[in-house]
Amino acid sequence: MSEKSDVDLTGAKLNTGVWLVKVPKYLAQQWAKATGRGEVGKLRISKYVSFTLNEELTIIEGIEDKTVSAPRDHPFTMQSVGGQMLAVFTESSSDKIALEGVVVQRAECRPAVSESYMKLKRLQIEESSKPSRLSQQLSKPVTNYKPVANHEYNQHVHKICKRARADKQQVLEMLFSAFEKHQYYNIKDLVDITKQPVIYLKEILRDIGIYNVKGTHKNTWELKPEYRHYQPGEKTDE
Amino acid sequence: CLFTIFQGGSSASTTEYTVRVPKNTSKKYNIMAFNSGDKVNCSAWTQARMERDLSARRIYGEEELPEGGAGSEFGKKQREEARRKKYGIVTREFKVEDQPWILKVNGKAGKRFKGIKKGGVTENASYYIFTQCPDGAFEAFPVHGWYNFTPVAKHRTLTAEEAEEEWGRRNKVVNHFSIMLQRRLREQERGEEDDDDADKPGKKKKKGGGKGGDLRIHDLDEDLEMSSDDSDNSMGDDGENKAKAKKDKAKGKAKKKKQKSNEKDALEDSDDGDYEGLEVDYMSDESSSEEELTKEKPNKQEEHPKGIDEASESEEESEEENQNEEEAKEEEEEEEGKKTPVQVEKKKKKDSSGESETSDDSDIEGETASALFMKKRTPPKRAAGRGSAGSSRTSSRPGTPSIDSGSTSSTLRAAASKLEQGRTTRGPSADSPAAKRLKMEPSSQSPGPSGKSTPQPSSGKSTPSSSDVQLTEEAVRRYLIRKPMTTKDLLKKFQTKRTGLSSEQTVNVLAQILKRLNPERKNINDKMHFYLTE
Repeated sequence: MSEKSDVDLTGAKLNTGVWLVKVPKYLAQQWAKATGRGEVGKLRISKYVSFTLNEELTIIEGIEDKTVSAPRDHPFTMQSVGGQMLAVFTESSSDKIALEGVVVQRAECRPAVSESYMKLKRLQIEESSKPSRLSQQLSKPVTNYKPVANHEYNQHVHKICKRARADKQQVLEMLFSAFEKHQYYNIKDLVDITKQPVIYLKEILRDIGIYNVKGTHKNTWELKPEYRHYQPGEKTDE
Repeated sequence: CLFTIFQGGSSASTTEYTVRVPKNTSKKYNIMAFNSGDKVNCSAWTQARMERDLSARRIYGEEELPEGGAGSEFGKKQREEARRKKYGIVTREFKVEDQPWILKVNGKAGKRFKGIKKGGVTENASYYIFTQCPDGAFEAFPVHGWYNFTPVAKHRTLTAEEAEEEWGRRNKVVNHFSIMLQRRLREQERGEEDDDDADKPGKKKKKGGGKGGDLRIHDLDEDLEMSSDDSDNSMGDDGENKAKAKKDKAKGKAKKKKQKSNEKDALEDSDDGDYEGLEVDYMSDESSSEEELTKEKPNKQEEHPKGIDEASESEEESEEENQNEEEAKEEEEEEEGKKTPVQVEKKKKKDSSGESETSDDSDIEGETASALFMKKRTPPKRAAGRGSAGSSRTSSRPGTPSIDSGSTSSTLRAAASKLEQGRTTRGPSADSPAAKRLKMEPSSQSPGPSGKSTPQPSSGKSTPSSSDVQLTEEAVRRYLIRKPMTTKDLLKKFQTKRTGLSSEQTVNVLAQILKRLNPERKNINDKMHFYLTE
C-alpha cells in the first residue's frame, strides 16, 4: 500500500461540473495530432450542441497511403447522468490525487453522416478485415539456429579445462567474497567461480561451510554460521 | 466556473467555444462512479484518503528471495526463469495500474469505498472530460480509467461457509442477533488459542501425555518399564506384563487386564504375532476357586512381600507353577525375542521337569529376583497350575477351565521352537508334558487331538530325582572361583529340579554355604556379586 495520499477535495467542494463526452476513436486520434496549444475545433452550443472539427485535422491517413477526410461536423447527443454519481478524479505524476469535479452532463459525439464519413468507415473496415497472419513467399531459405544450452565455450570451462589447485588461502578469499554476494551456492557455480578442481574445493568447503539440502530442492553450500556476517545491509567476516 | 447548457426554448443564442485538447498533461483523468442507491454526496466530504489496494500482490508475486547477501542463492533468478520457460508457465504481470482503489472518507469513523477498475472502457471509444476554463474555452481530457466505487461494510459479516450454515438453520433460528455473537465468541476463542500458542504446545503435550497415562490402567507398567535396568529384570518385567496380558487373554476375563493388554499392544507397537506363544491354560475341573483367586492376584501387583507370600503359597501347588513358568517363559521368550542364557536355562529346566515337579524354582526366583518379576510368576503359576495338582497327566493337561483356545496352534509352534532351542538331551518322559500340552491345544482348537504331532523334541527332563547337581559347598566354591555371581545366579545353578531340594531348602542351604565361604563382594551393574579367589 504505497501511495497513501489525501485527496484534494477542492473540486468537489466547489461543485465543479464537467461533461463526460464519448468520442469516436478516429476523432480522438485526430485530436491527438493537434499542434500548438492543442486547439482541435469549436463547440457550438445553442439549442443543439455540436462540435466542429478544425480543418487541418480532417486528414486521416490510412494504410497504403489512402487518405480520407474526416467529417467535420459532430453533433453531440446529450444524455442525463441519471441517478448515478460520477466524480472525476485525477492522478498526477507525483501520485497526488485530486477530485476535479462531478459530471453534470453526459454526451455522445457523433459524426454527421456524410460522404466523407462513409469513406472513412469503409477504410476502417478494410483495415480491420485484413487477416493478421498471412503467407508470404520467401526468396531465400531461412537459417534457423537451434537453441543450445551448453555452448562450446561453456563446455570448455566445465569439462575440458584442467584446473590447478591454487593456494588454499587464495581459494578461501575467493570463497568468502563470493559468499558475500550470495548466501547459497551450487557446487558447480563455485567451481566456476574459483576455477578449482572439485575435490579440492569440496575439502575446503567442508571446513568453512555446510552442505544443506535446504528443503527447497537444490543441494547448496553455505558458510558456517560462525563465518557468516550477514546483516540487512550485508557485510562479511574474514 | 458554471456554464449553462442549452435551454430548451425559442431563440437560443449560439455560443461558440473553442475546444482544446491539452498536450502533455501530467494529470491522468479518471472516473469515480458511485451507485445511485448509495446516495453519495462528494461535496459533503470533509476529508478523504485514497490508495491502491495491493493485497493481490502477494498472490501474484512469487516468494521473494533476497537478491543478494543473506538468504540469496547464486543464479537463482536465471534458474527460475529457465524453469518457467521450460514448463511454459506464463505469469500475468501484476499491474499496479489495474489494482483497485481504497477510498476512506471522513477519517476513521467515516465510510469506506472500494473502487474496481472497469475494463473495456477505452477500447472502442474514448471518453473525454470537457471542462470549461476561465477564458471560456473548453478543455477536453481523455479518461484514463473508470472505477466503480462501492461502499465497504465496516460491520462484521459472515463468511460464505458460515452464511450457508446459517441458511440451513434459518427455519430454526429465531434470534438472529445471536448469530454474529456466536461468531464473535468463536473468533475470540481462536484468538486466545493463538495467543497461548507458546504455552499451549507444552500444555497440550502434557495433556496428551497425561491422557495417555490416564488411559493406562496400571501405572505399574511405567514403573516396570522404567525402573529396572537389569536386563533380566526388565525382560522379566516385560515378560510379566506380557505374560499377564496373555494370561488374561487366555482366561478371557478380567477386563481390566484386557485393557491393559490392549494398551500394551498400543504402547509397544506389538503385532499379532505376539500372541503366538501364548500358552493356554490347562483344562481342569478343579480349582475354579483358585482361578478366581488368581484373577484377583494379577490385579494387585504390588509389594514384594506379597510376591514372596504367593511364592510360599504356591509351593503347595507343584506342577502348576512349573507349567506356568514354562508358559510364562515361553511367552517371554517368544515375545521378547531376547534370551538371556539364564532364562533359556531356566526354560530348559522347566521344560525338562516332569509333572510332579515342584515350583521351587519359581519360589527361589521370587525371593531373589525383583518383586515384580516374581509377582508376574506367581499369578501365572496360579492360573496355570489349576488342575495340575496331580502328577501324571494323561488326557488333557491340567489347566484352568477357562481355557482359551485362542492361541493353541500358535502355542504349539512356540513350544516347538523353544524346545528345539532348549536342551535336547532329556529323556522320553519329556515328551509327555509336551504331548499333553499339544493334546490339549488341538483339542480345544482344532479337531483331531493327535493331529498335531509333537514338533517338540525331547525337551524337558523327566523327573527331578535325577539330580545332576548337588548343592554342596564345593560346588558353590567352584562357581564362585570361576567368576563372580549373584545369589540369583547361584540359585539358578542349583535348581530345585536338579537338586531335589525344595526352594526353601535350597535357599537355606545356600545361605549357610555362603556364610561358611564368606566370599568377597563386588558390585557389578548395581548388583552384588560374590566371588572367591584362590
